[in-house]
Amino acid sequence: MVNTRKLGVTLLAVIIAVFFLLPLVWMISTSFKNDFEALSGKMNFFPLKPTVDNFVQGINGELMNVPIIRWIINSLSVGVIGTVIVLIIDSMAAYALARLQDLPLRRIMLSLFIASLMIPGVLTFLPMYMEFNALNLINTYPALILPATAGAFGVFLLYQFFSSFPREIEEAARIDGANKWQIYARILLPSAVSIMVTLAIFTFMGIYNDFVWPLYATTSPEMRTITAGIAMMATGSYTQSYGKLMAMTTIATLPVVIVFILGQRSFVKAITQSAVK
Amino acid sequence: MKTTLTSRFTSFLFILPYLAAFSIFLLFPILYGVYISLHNFELLSKDYEFVGLANYINIFTPGTYINDIFFRGLWVTAQFVLFSVPLLIIVGLALAMLVNALPARIRGLFRTFYFLPYALSASVMAVIWLMMFDTNAGFLNSMLAKLGITGIPWLTDTPWAWISLILTTLWWTIGFNMIIFINALNEVPEDYYEAASIDGANAWHKFTKITLPSIRPVMLFIMITSTIASFNIYAQPFLLTRGGPGDTTKVLLINVLDQAFLRKEVGSASAMAIVMALIIIIISIVQFKLTSGRKGEA
Repeated sequence: MVNTRKLGVTLLAVIIAVFFLLPLVWMISTSFKNDFEALSGKMNFFPLKPTVDNFVQGINGELMNVPIIRWIINSLSVGVIGTVIVLIIDSMAAYALARLQDLPLRRIMLSLFIASLMIPGVLTFLPMYMEFNALNLINTYPALILPATAGAFGVFLLYQFFSSFPREIEEAARIDGANKWQIYARILLPSAVSIMVTLAIFTFMGIYNDFVWPLYATTSPEMRTITAGIAMMATGSYTQSYGKLMAMTTIATLPVVIVFILGQRSFVKAITQSAVK
Repeated sequence: MKTTLTSRFTSFLFILPYLAAFSIFLLFPILYGVYISLHNFELLSKDYEFVGLANYINIFTPGTYINDIFFRGLWVTAQFVLFSVPLLIIVGLALAMLVNALPARIRGLFRTFYFLPYALSASVMAVIWLMMFDTNAGFLNSMLAKLGITGIPWLTDTPWAWISLILTTLWWTIGFNMIIFINALNEVPEDYYEAASIDGANAWHKFTKITLPSIRPVMLFIMITSTIASFNIYAQPFLLTRGGPGDTTKVLLINVLDQAFLRKEVGSASAMAIVMALIIIIISIVQFKLTSGRKGEA
């Protein structure tokens, strides 16, 4: 009886998995079709006339006359640079908040940062745009990178970790003559590698996947990120060129799905950590 | 530890970079937003005047354009919240229990399957579903045509537009709630269930008397985060239904951004954004108070 039940549960899980995976399988399948077949309404999972034209044109920039490769490079660089900045400044701040008792205004800053986690993004979106506009930074890389560095999630995550770090090790290092920078760089940071990886994945995916801010913060085609670019295409005149659009989304999805699958364990940890606060 | 001035200054240097980022890109924009909302800012013009609370008064004065788009948008958003939040909680929990009931060897695999769409960008998600929902050539209608059902207007008629928005929201985001529920379920002590089995409790009793009370704090967390996320809904109606048919799925955030970027009236748009943010914060606090206040019952 137990076995029939397990079998039934597994069957149900498979049916639901089809719902989750089918759109992705269909995206990949369609990306190998020409526009005519993509619009034919036939349910061919294997294209009748498979073609890599959509990808070839995507790479050489002929696809819908947009620089997809440039967009991918924009997204990757903005994501990587933003992530590196977040890792550095968040870990330094978390170290100071958790371990440096003589930090001025420590408690006030800590409550301020934690309270900021509650702030809905809609509150800062328009003024942030006006701020970057006043600084003449709209349509530049700083506009795509800097707003992501203000979030307190990473500070909070690392603060929790550093707070529970054993005091004896730090004390021993201090007796050996290590200063704050050495304790931070040689003792605390190496101990936090796994949680830093978690934060890195979380931050990278957040920046890479955001589309609303880049959509408004960029104005020229070559400054778009891939997600903002796709949003432009989807609301523009290419809505029905499904083969081409799907090649574009397949290219856009590859980096983030690779990061996601490789780092899934860490990603899951970050989510559950954020839930137990 | 010596607390000389130098030492305190060194300590401060550690926090300085983040404090700068926080102040310039979070704290300042909040204050600047309040300032903008008290002026008649326009997107492309450098001239503006102090107008006091006029932008806020307009929102609450029946008959004004701002009042109309704010409350119509709010009503549409509220409908979405009411439809989606219960499903985001129930389906999330159901998927978590399903994954946990699977044989241990394939558990991780199915967790990844259900969680995978969460890794996609909103715009990729939207383009994929535009194609799935296409009335003439879309996958869903092609499939339904084999069953003799033809031409469902998934994105262009109600109630289908609503169903499509909810369906894509579940597909895209449910993995997040599922992961948190799986973690919570795994932390319920196994002996509770064993003790209940010995007392002859059935599955339903175990679920209502052990599982639900044990995961209560996580349930609260999911309820609040799902409500906030649903309130901030933008990508799905902006890219899939374009607010249509008519204005039936034109959510508040679309109206706020249109007011700022299409009509270029940033002052009144900022007032709308601030009132919207206050509503979200108040609802989160009320949910928190209500749910944590009932602790004694369970």
